Amino acid sequence: MENQTMVFTSVLIAMLCFLFGCTSVTVDQVKHQQVELFQGDSIVVIGRRTGSDYETEPDLISCIGSALSQTNTALNVIPESDFVDKLYPWFEARTAPVHVRDLNRLLSYEKISKIIDDYQLQYIVWVDGNTEKTRSSGKISCGLSPTGGACFGFGTWDTKSEYEATIWDYKSRQLVGKVSSVADGTSYMPAVIIPIPIIAPVQRHACKTMANQLSKFFTNN
Amino acid sequence: MRVFTKILFIKVFWVTFLLVSCKSTVEIQGYFPSPVINQLPYSIGVIFNKEFSGYRYIEKSEKREKWEIDVGDAQVQMLNVVLKAMFSSIEVTSDFQSTSGNTLDLFLQPNLENFQYNVPYETKGNMFEVWLKYNMKVYDSHGKLIADWILTAYGKTPSEFLKSQEAALNDAMVIALRDLGAGLSLKFSQVPEINKWLKAQRKSTKASTKIAKNNFVNEIAPRI
Repeated sequence: MENQTMVFTSVLIAMLCFLFGCTSVTVDQVKHQQVELFQGDSIVVIGRRTGSDYETEPDLISCIGSALSQTNTALNVIPESDFVDKLYPWFEARTAPVHVRDLNRLLSYEKISKIIDDYQLQYIVWVDGNTEKTRSSGKISCGLSPTGGACFGFGTWDTKSEYEATIWDYKSRQLVGKVSSVADGTSYMPAVIIPIPIIAPVQRHACKTMANQLSKFFTNN
Repeated sequence: MRVFTKILFIKVFWVTFLLVSCKSTVEIQGYFPSPVINQLPYSIGVIFNKEFSGYRYIEKSEKREKWEIDVGDAQVQMLNVVLKAMFSSIEVTSDFQSTSGNTLDLFLQPNLENFQYNVPYETKGNMFEVWLKYNMKVYDSHGKLIADWILTAYGKTPSEFLKSQEAALNDAMVIALRDLGAGLSLKFSQVPEINKWLKAQRKSTKASTKIAKNNFVNEIAPRI
């Protein structure tokens, strides 16, 4: 009886995995200093867009921002576009500060420091990375005839999301820590007459795990 | 049999229609914020010629997909916002004369020299990319050329599931125009010829202030 339950559970897990595509996520964290957030303090999550052959997706950044606000309601997360627009052109891909010490140069400019002070900003979270297709195999053929169209075949592909968040303390101008999230997943597309995509939500999982880890980072001292 | 021929005709029509109408048209639209910079105490006239304000890129290569990209309005809109923040006043003119009758200190004539783009299947990183190369010319109030330099801009955006090609290229273009605005607003005073002109202006302003002060001391003050 126990064996039957085990087999049933395994089959169920395998089926669920097959239906939604399989994803595995690894999270890592380094904390150099304790973090302190007071009532009214804010944080901002910004995408680092200096990579020449990839682009940190704006959707991923807004996903982390909103997931962070949901998991930790005490955190006041400034939307990336609001922050970058208000401080234009200082946080564009080619003008954004690369090192934490670059903040000193930027903040010597009174207008900028006033805008950031108005936000009550405490931490800047820079997210760098992307999601890409790493492998694909299989073949699906589709045909069209006067009586209709149909597809037949099977396709599969692997996706990898790799992101690293670097946290800067705006007030002390120091690097506080780093959080990384690596997610792998396999998606399938069986096609019998019509193709049925079974997509592994790799980027969404990477976003949620990153947001959870950042939330812990800002609350556990 | 008649019905079958009719259905076949409709199917052939739709397949042909889909194959023929594979042209993408984009009119670039986006939000361009005002830059946070120190304003120069000078007025500027901007000369947008017809080629610039109505710039439309039409892909002519047989090897590429058909694209029509309308850049003109967006680049005029961006420059208006950026120049408004850079100078104390801005006026759009057709030549080296103010339409309002005010004296303008400078004139700017931008020219888009080169526009290039890449779509995902042409790039390694599955991205839409845009390169812009501008020739900027700055003239003094008499229409004498002060500076002539090249300003480049770049924008890229990843292709996303359920996002149209047109929307993705529009986003890349908006990023490139923002990059252009950043380059113009932050590097304008660093262009050697402009820097020289600005220094000369400051010097003459100082000198005229000194003359005015001396006049006040020598002529007006004794009468008080």
